[in-house]
Amino acid sequence: MKSSLIRPALALALAAGLAGCGGSDKAEFVVKGTITGIVYPGTVLTTNGMDLVVPPPARPGDTVSFAFPNKLEYGDVYDVRFKSEPDNQNCGTPPQTIANFNDTAGRLAEIAITFACAVDVYTIGGTVTGLTADGLVLANGSTGGVVGVAKPAAGVTTPNTYAFAGAVAYDQSYGVTVLTQPTGQVCTVANSTGVMKAANVTNINVTCVAAPS
Amino acid sequence: MKSSYLRAGAALACAVALSACGGSDGQLELGGTFQGVTKAGLVVTSSGQEKAITPPADGSGQGRWAFNNLISTDDRYNVELKSKPSNVKDCTIENPSGRAGYHVYTVYITCELNRHGLSGTVSNLKGNLVLVNGSDRVTVAAGATEFKMTDIAEDSPYGVTVLEQPAGQTCTVSNGSGTVGPAAITNVAVTCTP
Repeated sequence: MKSSLIRPALALALAAGLAGCGGSDKAEFVVKGTITGIVYPGTVLTTNGMDLVVPPPARPGDTVSFAFPNKLEYGDVYDVRFKSEPDNQNCGTPPQTIANFNDTAGRLAEIAITFACAVDVYTIGGTVTGLTADGLVLANGSTGGVVGVAKPAAGVTTPNTYAFAGAVAYDQSYGVTVLTQPTGQVCTVANSTGVMKAANVTNINVTCVAAPS
Repeated sequence: MKSSYLRAGAALACAVALSACGGSDGQLELGGTFQGVTKAGLVVTSSGQEKAITPPADGSGQGRWAFNNLISTDDRYNVELKSKPSNVKDCTIENPSGRAGYHVYTVYITCELNRHGLSGTVSNLKGNLVLVNGSDRVTVAAGATEFKMTDIAEDSPYGVTVLEQPAGQTCTVSNGSGTVGPAAITNVAVTCTP
């Protein structure tokens, strides 16, 4: 008698337990995440046949959240890519973190993708003409770094080219000045100042002549 | 006979394996990142080790550092500041102490640089003038007789140039370039044509 009651009770408990696992309420997952560093418009993300436009934040660089409209089911694979990066920017997985834009829905309780965008950077530089002594040092303001230009080897007359090691971001200003003149010479800088467009600057040309005695 | 060789062999293998784990020469790196270091002089210590952190050549003042000698698993460490560069207010060390479980990459050193003003005079300005010191951009309004750029870090270079000339005028900068010392720069002079 006792055992005949226990068995149906067990069967009921099992059935209830199984129903809890599946049934009509399918688990659904929103493909969502955050992007840091967006400054310019143009971001379009894409995955599973959906495109999502992500507008830039009110304050440039603030973190923005995104969520694709259609939910995924358990086991669906998502692979979120930039169909279009914000203008003048490049985006990807933040440095020193593990990429999480490509995974299977349901492997983690929640999808939380992280991306970071940075403004494109370009180099600045030019040619140096007439340099016959050592000691020329050029600077790009206080934070753009310095570059020393050595005199060309004997017999070399072609203007030498130089470039700053530090890059300049799009829309950032630059201004190249002579920090240290070469021994016995005076150098002047042409096209010294500007605002970075979307290309390397190679016309910041330096001309050196003998210092007036 | 056979089993006695085996035993001796096993004992030897155990001894070798154990010695590989401990000993005075560790196998774990102790270090982290630094920023605000534009001049030599930063020295940190931990358990008798000393490390002088040299400023990076690119002028960024930041990078990664680590003690030259490795430490061992379970070693306690306590990174302390021994000396700082002459051009900083102070340096702080985040996560300075702990016990090594794996490589320690999380000792973050942040130095706050002394900052000084960069300013000068303007004469005969009749329109708007835009001056830059590298990435720092300042608009000087018509009629102004002086200007001020963003403060700059001690020992860094500066170079003030004209980005946009006022309408109908040409302005030139004198004393526009140099290296800031322990005091503010106030002698940059901008002169505009009549």
